[in-house]
Amino acid sequence: MTNAVVIKDLEWKYEHTTQFALRGINLEIPENTFLGIVGANEQGKTTLINSICGLIPHSFNGVYRGSVEIYGSPVLKMSGLEIATQVGLVFADPEAQFTAMTVEEELVFGLENTGYDLGKIKERLDWAVGVTMIGDLLDKSPYDISGGQKQRMAIACVLAMNPPIIIMDEPTSMIDPLGKQFIFDILRKLKDAGDRTIIVVEHNIEQLAPLADQLLLMQDGQIARMAPPAHFFDDLPNIVGSGVYPPEVTSFAYWLKQSGYVPPEQVLPNRFDEGVTLMQDALRNARDNR
Amino acid sequence: MATSAEAPGGVRAAKLRKTLLGYVPIESPFYRYHPVTRLIMFVFFGVVPIFIDMPEINFALVVCTILLLVWGQADLKRLRIYMPMIVTIAIFMFLVVILAPGNDPTFTPIHIGPLTIYYQPVYFTFASYWRLMAMLFGTILYFSTNRERDMLVALRSLKLPFLASYVVGFSIRAAGMFMEDFNTIREAEQARGLDKSALKLGDQVKLYVMYLVPLFSIALRRADEISHALFARGYNFTGRVGHGNKRSDYILTQYTMTGMDWLVIAVLMTLFVGAAVAEYGFGAFRLPHSPINILLHHLLGLGWPS
Repeated sequence: MTNAVVIKDLEWKYEHTTQFALRGINLEIPENTFLGIVGANEQGKTTLINSICGLIPHSFNGVYRGSVEIYGSPVLKMSGLEIATQVGLVFADPEAQFTAMTVEEELVFGLENTGYDLGKIKERLDWAVGVTMIGDLLDKSPYDISGGQKQRMAIACVLAMNPPIIIMDEPTSMIDPLGKQFIFDILRKLKDAGDRTIIVVEHNIEQLAPLADQLLLMQDGQIARMAPPAHFFDDLPNIVGSGVYPPEVTSFAYWLKQSGYVPPEQVLPNRFDEGVTLMQDALRNARDNR
Repeated sequence: MATSAEAPGGVRAAKLRKTLLGYVPIESPFYRYHPVTRLIMFVFFGVVPIFIDMPEINFALVVCTILLLVWGQADLKRLRIYMPMIVTIAIFMFLVVILAPGNDPTFTPIHIGPLTIYYQPVYFTFASYWRLMAMLFGTILYFSTNRERDMLVALRSLKLPFLASYVVGFSIRAAGMFMEDFNTIREAEQARGLDKSALKLGDQVKLYVMYLVPLFSIALRRADEISHALFARGYNFTGRVGHGNKRSDYILTQYTMTGMDWLVIAVLMTLFVGAAVAEYGFGAFRLPHSPINILLHHLLGLGWPS
């Protein structure tokens, strides 16, 4: 399988700081997979994704060692335009990425930069608007819409550019539960389409884990753990110790496992329905053994 | 922004569009015209008063802009927010000219009780005030009925380079964001118990100086964020775009010039050139031709103004 992103021995220290924000990062992200990045605040999650999308080192000053490659091309040598056609970034604060005066202008801005003709722009615009359901907002100012709508618009802006790699930095951090669900629905659609590499930094592990192919834990600027969601929480006490709280259903299943109610080889569930099945099996086994 | 407003009596009013200084209905007649036509109208109302000294004509331009606001279905009640500015400008201008009229011996003194004022500088100030009002109302007309987007479309249609129009748009937005941040800081202070009305004038001045620190740090942070956003969206200031293509301008394709646009532009341009020629070629709009000036000269026994 082709790797969309390859990071080798990456180290990064921001200007005017004493410690490296990223240390010894080695990571391969296969094409068309979904990577969830978790970790407590100030552990290097945003710095890591900024390195992948080229903001580091192009827009930040600091010490850069190692390499980040997007489909074999080093980010260090790519122009902003070249990176933007390969990697789309949705910022944590959607307002931080507004560059235009109406939602429609905002959506087409990136497409105009990438040199699409008008027909293609219209086609991409209609598609992105359809996926994110913001057709009724096109005429509005990006500042005059709700938080959830802002985030959907920010995602639409990236989708419109159709990059093979999409990165989202805490896309649900500033919106209400309904808005969060809507964002995760979009992520689910993108994942099901299976034609993009998706990297999402998110604290809402309950929703992230069922979507991700791999979960990555950042701690002290390093990759502390990387595993598929089914095995990511095997070492649950340490995960919790690093400030990351697993889905409730995973914690409960872990307790069942530790208490001997389910076999040690049991894979920990991260979805509610998987938890129900596990519980039913455990109850059935207990009844049969009685 | 298009929005619905609840009219008195619970009736849903027409959908409104947010403009730079207020709201107008989406169906406003202004939107039948191309943004370029509207920009040229702004230039006309903003620049023509420069040619005109006669306060009567400038007053007529003010009335004209108010009639256009009515025609455009703009909310005239919003004009009230400009009243303090309009009154303050008048007080400031007339106070200066009354207290410091200059010492030209040809000035005609008028004694009002213990006060002596001089006719010529006062009338010149009166004329200048209406010129300023005509320009102000022209600006209010444009910014009350147009959005940033309309302005950018107009500038780009007139072949202003993308970067230049982008900077104009950003400047407008930055001013709005600055005011928003300023209000946020003030609200935060009030929420923590600051009663500004209880402060002495000196302390209030100090308070305003103190606002500069958070406002500048917020502005710097925003500049950083916008720079990152532009990078992430592939923008570069060389104007170079991907695929080796010329930059497409999608938004411009949403607007078309009609025959009515060309007609309005032709009329405005003709009036503009006519006004310039009449003033600079024949001095047609100078103060000696002002009917009010002539009347006052006769009432004061000064003969014909020169």
